[in-house]
Amino acid sequence: MKDVKSKKPWPYWVGGILLGIINIIILFVTGKPWKITTAFLYIGAGFIELLGVDVKDWYYFNVYNNQLSLGKTFFNNELIVIIVAIIIGSFLSVLYHSEFKFKKIKSKRQFLAALIGGILMGYGTRLSFGCNIGAYFSAIPSFSVHGWVFGIFMFVGAWIGCKILFKYLL
Amino acid sequence: MVTSSKIEEIKRQRQKEIRAKKNQRKYFYIAAFISLIIFGYFINNNKLYAFTWIIGIAIGIIMQRSRFCFAASFRDPIMVGTTSLFRAVLLGLMISTIGFGIYQYMFFSNVENYSIMDIPGQIYPVGIHTIIGAIMFGIGMVIAGGCATGTLIRIGEGYLMQFIVLIGFIIGATLGGKSFEFWDKLFISTSKIIYLPEYIGLIPTIIAQLIVLGIIYYLAILYDKKNNIMSGL
Amino acid sequence: MAIYELDCMYEACPIPLLKVLKKLNDMKVGDILIIKTDHSCSIVNVVEWVEKQGHYIDYLETGEGEWEIYIEKAK
Repeated sequence: MKDVKSKKPWPYWVGGILLGIINIIILFVTGKPWKITTAFLYIGAGFIELLGVDVKDWYYFNVYNNQLSLGKTFFNNELIVIIVAIIIGSFLSVLYHSEFKFKKIKSKRQFLAALIGGILMGYGTRLSFGCNIGAYFSAIPSFSVHGWVFGIFMFVGAWIGCKILFKYLL
Repeated sequence: MVTSSKIEEIKRQRQKEIRAKKNQRKYFYIAAFISLIIFGYFINNNKLYAFTWIIGIAIGIIMQRSRFCFAASFRDPIMVGTTSLFRAVLLGLMISTIGFGIYQYMFFSNVENYSIMDIPGQIYPVGIHTIIGAIMFGIGMVIAGGCATGTLIRIGEGYLMQFIVLIGFIIGATLGGKSFEFWDKLFISTSKIIYLPEYIGLIPTIIAQLIVLGIIYYLAILYDKKNNIMSGL
Repeated sequence: MAIYELDCMYEACPIPLLKVLKKLNDMKVGDILIIKTDHSCSIVNVVEWVEKQGHYIDYLETGEGEWEIYIEKAK
């Protein structure tokens, strides 16, 4: 087999500019801003719904225009499509450059950090109406101050996270 | 990249020792083909999904290729004093500001009666809940090694750890959704939406925001040069 | 001139960079550090940081999604 050398990664600023453009395209084409983590709520809600609970009855889905769009279900909506597509896009990119590698979990500590980190992030997004995309990357360009506040306090959180990282995970 | 003769010598030696990479291109073609089939299905059934599918794949490719990481954009200035990712995010914000501004301008030109919830964009109340949520998210993203998009990218790269992060995300988001009433009654429902154009107009807001982002960009360059290393070591 | 090796396989962001930082601190000028990593960000963020500090650095791809980074402490 021919030697497959990887091309060098693209510079960060290229990614930044392209993502900015994509942010705009999503708004123009769908009329709605780019967001991600609501999909994770939908997945959880979808599973709970399968257990027979009437999730659509939850307080959350009856305020702030949070209800599912007409005809959509928790597993069938454009947010689920976009998160699957992002995973696929990354997968295609690594496969093309033959960089794909299964990376197992190294330790119990890593597992806990991943789980707790994910739960913290997931929970936090419901309070701030989004994640690094929905409450920051789309919120600031929407001229809503909550995006700026989210960004500033993400720094605070990151600082605390670094302290925890150094103490327990290094 | 600044290399040295010692390094080049080591490289030369190692080059002889390492085996040629296995070519994964064939798997790429299979995966790309399946993605195309899915795209074809969407085109015939739901054009919105077709668009979302393509855009999502593009995001995945772009972020993976450029090693883009929002978590690192916040973490690296604190941890190692580099702001290159942070500045890249600022570039994205500046471009988005212009595009979103245009879109909102078009909205206001075409609509007579509207409420603030109708304005296109992510516009929500700001308050203590935002602060708490942001801090939780900031802590979580550093210890989990990535934010929302970073987690998805890394799942695509084969990280089993990020799959666990995703499970955590789902659990956390669902818990958050279930307990939303508590937070809404406590903070959110009494917090204001501060939509800047409401106070100074859309065009001034766009200009002011671009200037502010530009200043932050410039400060980030200075900070990077100053080379602030975390004293935790 | 000592040669050190760091195995950073299966480590999550930002562990490889932090390990490099720490190790470089303990090294003498002229020492070499070889890092084995499977973290795609490392070839960008470690390289960037090390170059910024003024050391020599280069890397090789050693497998599918695996790299070896070579650093020589320069000052």
